[in-house]
Amino acid sequence: MVDQLPNLGREAEMLMAMGYASMDDLFSDVPVDVRMEEDLPLRPPQSEEEIIADARRLLGANVSLGSMASFIGAGLYRNHVPAAVFQLVTRGEFLTAYTPYQAEVSQGMLQAMWEFQGLISELVGLPVANLSVYDGSSAAAEAITCAVRVHGRKATQKGVVYVSELVPPDRWSVIHNYTQGGGIELRTLRHLEDGTVDPASVAEAAGACAVYVEQPNPLGLLDASLTSVKDAIGEHTAFIVGVNPVSLGLYEAPGHYGADIVVGEGQPFGSPMTAGGPIYGIFACSKAYMRQMPGRIVGRTIDEDEQTAYCLTLSTREQHIRRHRATSNLCTNETLIALMGAMHMSLLGPEGVRSLAVRNAAALHAVVQALEGVDGVEFVHPDGHHFNEIAVQLPGPAAACIEALEAHGVLPGFDLGRWSEARSNQLLVTATDQTRPEDIDRLASAMAAWCAEVVA
Amino acid sequence: MNNLWDFTGAEGAGYAQPAPLVPESDLSLATPLLRKDAPRWPRLSEPEMVRHYTNLSRRNFGIDTGFYPLGSCTMKHNPRVNEVIAQMPGICDIHPHQPEHHLQGLLSIFHEMQHMLAVCAGMDEVTLQPVAGAQGEFTAVRCIQEYFRERGEAQRTRIVVPDSAHGTNPASAAMAGFEIVEVPSTEDGRIDLEALAAVLDDTIAAMMITNPNTLGLFETDIAAAAELVHGVGGQMYYDGANFNAIIGRTSPGLMGFDAVHYNLHKTFSQPHGGGGPGSGPIGVKAHLAPFLPGPVVDVRAAEAGERTVESGRWFHWREPEHSIGKVQQWHGNAGAVVRCWAFYRRYGRDLRTMSEHAVLNANYLRHAIHREAKEAGVDHLFVDGARTDVAKHEFTLSMQPAKEALGVTAMDIAKGLLDMGYMAPTVYFPLVVPECLMIEPTETEAKDTLDQFAKDFVAVVGTDPATLHAAPVTTPVRRVDEVYAARNLCLRVPEEDL
Repeated sequence: MVDQLPNLGREAEMLMAMGYASMDDLFSDVPVDVRMEEDLPLRPPQSEEEIIADARRLLGANVSLGSMASFIGAGLYRNHVPAAVFQLVTRGEFLTAYTPYQAEVSQGMLQAMWEFQGLISELVGLPVANLSVYDGSSAAAEAITCAVRVHGRKATQKGVVYVSELVPPDRWSVIHNYTQGGGIELRTLRHLEDGTVDPASVAEAAGACAVYVEQPNPLGLLDASLTSVKDAIGEHTAFIVGVNPVSLGLYEAPGHYGADIVVGEGQPFGSPMTAGGPIYGIFACSKAYMRQMPGRIVGRTIDEDEQTAYCLTLSTREQHIRRHRATSNLCTNETLIALMGAMHMSLLGPEGVRSLAVRNAAALHAVVQALEGVDGVEFVHPDGHHFNEIAVQLPGPAAACIEALEAHGVLPGFDLGRWSEARSNQLLVTATDQTRPEDIDRLASAMAAWCAEVVA
Repeated sequence: MNNLWDFTGAEGAGYAQPAPLVPESDLSLATPLLRKDAPRWPRLSEPEMVRHYTNLSRRNFGIDTGFYPLGSCTMKHNPRVNEVIAQMPGICDIHPHQPEHHLQGLLSIFHEMQHMLAVCAGMDEVTLQPVAGAQGEFTAVRCIQEYFRERGEAQRTRIVVPDSAHGTNPASAAMAGFEIVEVPSTEDGRIDLEALAAVLDDTIAAMMITNPNTLGLFETDIAAAAELVHGVGGQMYYDGANFNAIIGRTSPGLMGFDAVHYNLHKTFSQPHGGGGPGSGPIGVKAHLAPFLPGPVVDVRAAEAGERTVESGRWFHWREPEHSIGKVQQWHGNAGAVVRCWAFYRRYGRDLRTMSEHAVLNANYLRHAIHREAKEAGVDHLFVDGARTDVAKHEFTLSMQPAKEALGVTAMDIAKGLLDMGYMAPTVYFPLVVPECLMIEPTETEAKDTLDQFAKDFVAVVGTDPATLHAAPVTTPVRRVDEVYAARNLCLRVPEEDL
């Protein structure tokens, strides 16, 4: 029997108050030919205790990464979310509210999101940030459609957007789905052998609506040449940079080297990986893009007594007002996860975010050192600077390596063959602030054993 | 109250971290890219941070603090066990690219949810990938688009939406590249079959509609509408925002729909989190199934040596044949799906009882409000938003008479209700009802709460206009100036002129 309905047992009394005899009377408007006559062919209800037991059994059968030496990332990163974040975010006032349509009783979330905007804006070096979108991939896609709305008229390459060829196929697919309806043509922005962007390809993009490229790129490589992209493409082509936000504790904010829009996966700030969702997407831009940006944004204002207050603003871009002419269909978003991000960032502070970035860089450095000693393993971009992850060339298929190392309790990385067949002998190895020295030792020794076997 | 930037802690204040695995001096960092100026973030200690956010939370209204009759949003109680489950490492500490044998428990939950959602909606296949209702709409519309391209019917470039539709419907269809054809509703707020027939031809790809509609009315002509749309070769799309009203009593499949989206956060209760996260799976009939975003979860007989979570069954990912690709990079909001799985397990086949109570509560509240208003002599100040005998899970009231008689608007009533300790109903939606209040109590409100709300609502309606214009006065701030916000844009600290 279900236990979540306060009016169980009071149905007759309530129906009688309305002059009805049975529940069927309330569904008399459902025409006979569309009625469901049989019971739902589903399982019987369970109690809380039974549900918890089943959840423990099923979720307990999953192999959580903490139980292994894990080096898988590729866009999501194992991190430590401070305890205070989980404690605070489960407060019912945050957890069980919805979009702050009634500002007077939603000041808490509105202010928290306004603060979030300020934290993101400072981090990426752009004046405007919204209160998040679904994830990094939809953020990239919405940045592209936003840029096309802004530059569509003046672009000499109408509707054309150049997207880095290193963008993983799954993200590329999201971008394709979001942009194909707008008559947007996606062209490939090429990279050189060393992983940096090809200046010739960048030059071709001048006059297009936008260029989308990631820093660090999806192989973890940092590209100093991105600092000259904006000069090369000019003011009528949007420079969109996808970031790993933690890297910005150490490396320059793209807004400081010409980016017009910065997007990214916010997850490493505040959110566990959670099998890929819910996470949140960062979206920030310069003023020129503000009125064409997607999503919700909070402004500071005053109330009737001229006291400081907050409310949603620039709403005339949004679907509930502008309908099919809206800048996006966004309604429900990822506010609570963005709130976790804000809480995490507020505990880090300017020095803490730098330390966090250094720890991530140091962990990768330790992994690189360990793998340098493994015969048969080579780095795809040995001369490049990397953050969080690095692509390595193996003497055999990455898929086989992953399978073989499982016996050692090691998940050595992500099989890059899933992104491109040409890379099926490449592994993307990720290290984060949660990588332990003993994990690295296990990786190196298991990898050495596997390589020796393959080479032999 | 303070904002984050009012905290002036010492350098390095905040969360203490372990030392890096390698000293910074030994790292070769990419020097030309090194950050010159640190972000101007505030510095808080943990005690300050905890108090800051706790105080912020006290300035926020949630279902946990009071009745939240926000129409169209289904603000029901969220069972707390769901939160406990969602924090287990078997969901939190999982990477979506782990091999299938690492994820049998999660895949089994996904499979069960796909099945349950298909059964409830009368659909054949389900994907859990879209992360919100609007993304579900967009995904389904994309599937329909590719279905027609595959059939050589690319001329179907238009989508019909009723004038009472959620704004996301036309926005989602437009994002996919469709032209929107809006059809008017009849005077009683339902589909106008004549107006619909007049716009239908072989350029129509689909009709998007919710049932019960946004006035809380069951579309009694839905089967006829489906027949008309199918008659010109179009598809019927069901916006599942109002699915909470009908589970186990009817289904989109029975009504003739080809595709639906579900708002798991509404119907199956993922906490709305101040705006999200949600989860917006879609279900489709077999002819659209090859176009679903991939991968979906499928099951086969287990082979020897496979460690199963269900005897003899092995769960695996499967890419639909003509998949549109992805709308989210990973597998959607898996954390929300797990919470909603726990919610579903609480009800099982009694989901029907859940929907019945949602409708019972809405009708009971509507009757109680009218009864109390009559007794208090204020029943002339509002009317039903639509003529009907029974409502479904929500209903609308029009404050137009109060506006004409006293200059009191729907917004004034909403603000008055805030002073009584309630969240206001949805205001000014649907657009077809003047001075609209849209009220959805959900099944998790007790009769006593509904009785008290009816009394308090009527008291607010009977309050003198000057007091209502000045409301709210008991809230953390008084009426907020949205025009000032738009004219004097201040979107961040440190402040910068916009």
